[in-house]
Amino acid sequence: MQIGRKIYRYALMTRVSHWFWVLAFAALVSSGLQIFNAAPYLDASDKSNPARRVLSLDSPSDGVGTTTIFGHTFTTTGWLGYTDDGMGGRGARGFPAWITIPAYQDLADGRRWHLFFAWVAAACWLAWLISSAIKGNLADMVLRPSDLPKLWPMQAYYLKLRPEPPPHGTYNPLQKAAYTTIGFVIAPLVVLTGLALSPGIDAIASPLTWVLGGRQFARLWHFVGMILLIGFFVVHTFQVATQGVVNQMRSMITGWFRLGEHDGVGP
Amino acid sequence: MKRRLFLASSLSSALAACSPLGTKLNETPGFHNLLGTAQGLNHLVIGTRGSAREYSDADVDRDFRVNGLATPSDSSYKELVQTGFSGYRLIVDGAVERPMQFPLAQLQVMQRVTQTTRHDCVEGWSAIGKWSGVRLSDVLDVVKPAATARYVVFHCLDKDDQGTQYYESLDLHQARHPQALLALTLNDKPLDADHGAPVRLRVPTQLGYKSAKWVGRIELVDSFAKIGGGAGGYWEDQGYEWYAGI
Repeated sequence: MQIGRKIYRYALMTRVSHWFWVLAFAALVSSGLQIFNAAPYLDASDKSNPARRVLSLDSPSDGVGTTTIFGHTFTTTGWLGYTDDGMGGRGARGFPAWITIPAYQDLADGRRWHLFFAWVAAACWLAWLISSAIKGNLADMVLRPSDLPKLWPMQAYYLKLRPEPPPHGTYNPLQKAAYTTIGFVIAPLVVLTGLALSPGIDAIASPLTWVLGGRQFARLWHFVGMILLIGFFVVHTFQVATQGVVNQMRSMITGWFRLGEHDGVGP
Repeated sequence: MKRRLFLASSLSSALAACSPLGTKLNETPGFHNLLGTAQGLNHLVIGTRGSAREYSDADVDRDFRVNGLATPSDSSYKELVQTGFSGYRLIVDGAVERPMQFPLAQLQVMQRVTQTTRHDCVEGWSAIGKWSGVRLSDVLDVVKPAATARYVVFHCLDKDDQGTQYYESLDLHQARHPQALLALTLNDKPLDADHGAPVRLRVPTQLGYKSAKWVGRIELVDSFAKIGGGAGGYWEDQGYEWYAGI
């Protein structure tokens, strides 16, 4: 048995890019919400069109905040629509100050952060991809057709419906599914939907914006992509916290991972 | 369980620290400048290439949203409006071989081009308008930029409530783009005061704040460092990027 043996699981580039990605992600979400606040609504259209509004955060009267999703309006005073303005008061503001960078409303600096950390995030992704491809670690992470029948058994194990996980390598089938979806589908889509918002990119590659349904639609997709990434972050953090937090955190800092009862080392 | 509680509380305090820490860093000049380096990269990678998509009449917003400031309030502009812009002259000077003053009537008889393009505001909204007017490059051809000219600065007939004059700038490559337009009409009607009468710039390959309204003077310069706050435009002086292609 391998239990208790330590293996060198994460290469230096993987660890460095992972933590820079965490920083970039935090900066991108909070500056993105800052940018969103400048026009706190999302339309499923090319040009702005209130008739196709999917989401809007409003303050219909002083002291009241509302959130409207697909035409259904909820009172969200203090949380959305009418919130902390970052200057010691409250006002008509989509997302509250404690979740935006800068805290107070400042579109110019929000854009500065967003456009800088977009490059950082892209650089991390590329550095990780290239180094993993060179080292041959990528193969362990990518979901293959042969993993598909193992997805449910793995989920059943997590739900305690099965005593043993299906046999697997460094990463279990659900991890592979999550990493593959995030790394090769969601993250690239978030980049593409962001680029589609740029009039300069639209002039070079207008089919990109067109395929997404237009510029406002791209803004909506970009927002949905952020929610999916946040969803991944929540599940991922929960897993790390519950599956041996010290071992998990140490391995992403030093690279060394102590094998557990069911951790395979093969493919 | 204690460990999980500890982890959950440290995670939420890390999240709660993001905004105050970010705000603090934002106010640190060195870090603020570092963030600004992305602009050069974006300008280099995206630049001004290709052409903005042209739409059909059916796509046009009949009630085109007013961007930026509404009608200038100063008396000299009001006088221009009252006299039907008969006293208006578009001054084109600076680093040019033939400085010129174009009365509105002269611009109106120059070769007309029409574009139905989307206006993408930096705030996030978009609107589609049908614009017609004179190509900026046609005006530049008349005045002949000098060899030293690098930027085209647009001085506007508008001041904000602090008395700061509105201005914008493009480099010569952006100014020569076939869609860079000195628009005279919007949706087949002469521009009204809110939309930049009598002459506004249209640069559909960049964000809306580049499309300056109420253009009164076009100055060609080798550098805009000594104009306004030195960043190349009214909004640029307030922290927005000079390159607004993204």
